Amino acid sequence: MDIDDLLAEVSAEAVPRETRDLQELTRCWVAERVAPELLTWPEELMERVLERIRRQIELVEDQTGDMDPKANFKLIVIQTELERFKFLVRSFLRARIKKIDLFPLHTLALHTASTDPGSTTTAAPLLSSSEYQYLTQHQALLFQHYASSFLSQFPASLQRLDDTTGGISMVDRPDEDKAVFCRALRGVGEIRVEGTERVFEMKRGDVWVVRWSAIREWVRTGDVELI
Amino acid sequence: MYGEIANKLAHSAKRTQSLAHLPPYQTDLIRAVTREARDLDKDVATILEPFAGSFNPSTEPATACALLVNHLCMRRNKRCLLAYHRVRSDKLEEMCWGGIDVLERQQQQQQQQANKAGGEGATTMGVDGNSSSLSPEEEEYVRQYSDLLSAYKGQWTDIDLTGSLEPPKDLFIDVRVLKDAGEIQTEYGAITLTKNSQFYVRQGDVERLISQGYLQRLS
Repeated sequence: MDIDDLLAEVSAEAVPRETRDLQELTRCWVAERVAPELLTWPEELMERVLERIRRQIELVEDQTGDMDPKANFKLIVIQTELERFKFLVRSFLRARIKKIDLFPLHTLALHTASTDPGSTTTAAPLLSSSEYQYLTQHQALLFQHYASSFLSQFPASLQRLDDTTGGISMVDRPDEDKAVFCRALRGVGEIRVEGTERVFEMKRGDVWVVRWSAIREWVRTGDVELI
Repeated sequence: MYGEIANKLAHSAKRTQSLAHLPPYQTDLIRAVTREARDLDKDVATILEPFAGSFNPSTEPATACALLVNHLCMRRNKRCLLAYHRVRSDKLEEMCWGGIDVLERQQQQQQQQANKAGGEGATTMGVDGNSSSLSPEEEEYVRQYSDLLSAYKGQWTDIDLTGSLEPPKDLFIDVRVLKDAGEIQTEYGAITLTKNSQFYVRQGDVERLISQGYLQRLS
């Protein structure tokens, strides 16, 4: 930790919560769209953001009908802001759903691991409860659809959808070695790229193109952001 | 040849990916592939029968090879079938997200075809009276998926999940009415949307109508 880090922390406190939430939401949104695998559901942040959206909508509803031109102008500003917030949340949720649908079984396994009470890590659950519900129901639907279309007529040993025999796993996984653009928010020290000899140092403010798997841990802790 | 029909399915799936609409469901091919897999399974059982559970691959390399080929073909068939159905169901889901009523469109198509067939003479009716491009299972799937989707969407009423994924620039936009859409309620009072008229309205109020093709956005 050097003087820059200390300064960064001090200035972060001075910024009001709302602004930081917006920053955080934008960061989550960019990260979710760029990262090849699903990131942890930001429960608290989403609750705050949704609560604010709800309050703003109520405010707008309360004040429409007010014919005062000044109030009207203020409303337009609020509504524009509201639309932008909604867009961020919508796009964020859709990016997640897309990844969930792309790698359903893989995601389900990860989610189960992250909520396992016996596990030693106290990581937050990967999915929100409604996403989990969507995922399981969607899989049930798909399985039923396959089964009634053709799978039920197959020999019993071939009816599974998560078979790993025969050399090929049926469970699709995201490509964790995909290259991502990232910026260091704090100095994170040396980073090793697995499977290669490459070791490099990432300083605060540096921008790199690296494999997702190499910097994943730092993105989770918030030391590195995806761009 | 083993796996040849499944190959056709894989090709069909590949082609489907680049099409805007869904080509007809290949019922015959599906049946043929499934039958092939079942026959292969029976073959395996017949080959294994004389060994009565004590088959040793190293003593009988020829039989082991035959078994392996059979197994691989069954797996391949299964994967091709899954891929084919997955591509189609993905397409259907996409339509659900896009707010297109797949089933209604199907019915319209069927009616059009029925009308055409009726014009040419009633003899063809029996042949392609039921030329829906969805299998009954797929129709059921679409129905259930729409339910699931609306349930999930219902938890995010403030956000409107199926809304536009373009970043909003302006709160208000110019739109032209392409089809009569009746009266809509907005915060600034009711607007009657008659064909060829033009309005300056809040984007959030008319997004649905734009995606349904009633309104056109003017830039």
